[in-house]
Amino acid sequence: MATMRLPSGTYHQTYQQDQAWWQTRFVWLRMIGLLFILLVFIPLWMPVLFPDIGLYVVSVANLIGYTILSAMGVQLLIGYAGQLTLGHSAFIAVGGYTSAICMLMFGIPYPITIILAALTAGLWSMLFGLPSVRVKGYYLIMTTMAAQFITVDFIITQYVAQIGGRGQAFSIPPGTITFGPIEIDNDIKVYYLMIALVIACMVFVGNLLRTRVGRAWLAIRDNDIAAEVLGVNVVRYKLAAYFVGGALGGIAGSFWITSIYAVSPEHFTWSWSLWVVGVILIGGVGSLYGTVFGAMFMTLVPEILRFAVAPLQPVFPQLMTNFQFLKESVFGLSIVLFLLYEPKGLAYRWWQIKNYLHLWPFSY
Amino acid sequence: MDIFLQLIITGFMVGSIYALVALGWTLIYKSSGVLNLAMGELTLIGAYVSYTFYMWKIPFPLAVVFTLIIGVILGLLTERIFLRPLIGEPTLTVIMVTVGLSFFFRGLIFLFFNTDTLVFTPPVFPSEPVRLGNVVIGQVYIWSFIAALVLLAVFVIFFQRTRWGLAIQATADDEMAALSLGVSAKFVYAAAWAIAFMAAGVGGTLLGNINGINISIGYLGLLVLPAVVIGGLNSVPGAIVGGIIIGVLQNLAGGYLDPLTIAGFKVFPGGVKDIFPYVVMTIMLLVKPYGLWGWIRIERV
Repeated sequence: MATMRLPSGTYHQTYQQDQAWWQTRFVWLRMIGLLFILLVFIPLWMPVLFPDIGLYVVSVANLIGYTILSAMGVQLLIGYAGQLTLGHSAFIAVGGYTSAICMLMFGIPYPITIILAALTAGLWSMLFGLPSVRVKGYYLIMTTMAAQFITVDFIITQYVAQIGGRGQAFSIPPGTITFGPIEIDNDIKVYYLMIALVIACMVFVGNLLRTRVGRAWLAIRDNDIAAEVLGVNVVRYKLAAYFVGGALGGIAGSFWITSIYAVSPEHFTWSWSLWVVGVILIGGVGSLYGTVFGAMFMTLVPEILRFAVAPLQPVFPQLMTNFQFLKESVFGLSIVLFLLYEPKGLAYRWWQIKNYLHLWPFSY
Repeated sequence: MDIFLQLIITGFMVGSIYALVALGWTLIYKSSGVLNLAMGELTLIGAYVSYTFYMWKIPFPLAVVFTLIIGVILGLLTERIFLRPLIGEPTLTVIMVTVGLSFFFRGLIFLFFNTDTLVFTPPVFPSEPVRLGNVVIGQVYIWSFIAALVLLAVFVIFFQRTRWGLAIQATADDEMAALSLGVSAKFVYAAAWAIAFMAAGVGGTLLGNINGINISIGYLGLLVLPAVVIGGLNSVPGAIVGGIIIGVLQNLAGGYLDPLTIAGFKVFPGGVKDIFPYVVMTIMLLVKPYGLWGWIRIERV
């Protein structure tokens, strides 16, 4: 967080202090306030205070959480390790299916299946990361695209989804997804699971980026040939990035099945892969906060849009019946506009606002 | 043997349509370095535009001409509004703009046309198949093949013989040299997008005549990516050959791999035809990343 401006009179004397996440008392207070809002206000007070929209807010928050978890692996691969990927929902799908199969066929408890899902998805992702040793840039994009089509449209649709003769969708019977003694059966419990997973993943990735591994990734992102010359084992660290990125995707997939109690290849389309890349672009590439901002933007805008077009329904009934496509076109347009007019994403804008308010109103 | 021949011939004919679309793609890549992921949507637009004209009782050849004109207009607009401000931006930015465009176009198309399969009625080409010996080929394939060949020839003549075509070739070959000799880069980029829209539009129209128009046309349009990888990203002949190879391979996979059984066990439950090009592409990237005729990039720090 070297870009942060410290209040006057505050000096760092050790590297630990300089690298700390929350450096001043004000930040501590702010973060505790944020945690209060996240852990108490939204799930517990909102449904009571606003009975008609409270649960809706929680369900939208769950969607945001899923988007954050999905985009985190992409952020790590694109934003930190510099490996462009356009097939991430393949790994989310692998995670979701691993989790579902482990629970349904082997009766493994849900928390353990999350870990299994992460491992499987990570290894699967590493397999498709192998070409990154030889190619990069455009050619790498093609291989990740191939990963998407081969994994989801072929292996999962044709083989995995047919296991047990269930046809396309695996439905998870109620009572299967339990966390210890607690059964995850409503939106609020899903919400708490989501918050736990998001915070765990954020802390994990944030810390990983401050280690030797993270610095190696940054070096590879900035210039892989230079990194190799300086002694970074490029192959090993690239594969490690694919492993961690895929594992995060696996966790997202594992979370996904709690929110709709089913898993089907149709949930993991190529569009979703592109969508999560769009999320990190809008949020800001190379910024963990950016993932959160992007996910919020991309989930809230369609929801607001849904309310906005509802009055137009008598005139243009297509707007509601084909809302999915309206959403897609707005998403596409917003990616393009962000890239044209705000290429550094929302995270940069947030940083500017913070800096502006830092010495407000007497900034120099 | 007859089946084999038939698969090859049909594959070759469908492949010529892919070749047409791939030509448009390569042109954009060569002249401006943009990896266009919206190619599937460009084919979709072409298919729906020509369908609309055809449904307005405009004769089919004229509908294709109108599709070409609309393609030019859309291509110029797209380039001017979305791509020109991004000249010189990083790879990811430019690619994601095309991704954003693909979402935008697809969303707009299906907002107005719904997702049902549309069929050209009355059928444009007679449904009576043609027999060549024991090989049976639908007329729609033959006409598509002829149309694709004519367009390919027109494009090749355009590149070889006209002033504008030469300008595009020069820019693709060496941008700095072309600029210093007075070739307008703006014109070349705009022309590349217009041609890509035209090629994809005709490709989409022909594909729509074969299978009916629905979202799968977009996925077929995306097949240009395996095609250009096989040919090498920056090679125009490579794109044409790659497109034909992909068409043939796809048909062979559908004909032989789909029903393949080993010891009574069906190896592939289905869908091999759709993903086979991507498998070939992955293998190609692992073995020979720069394709048949692509330039090998030498990078210096």
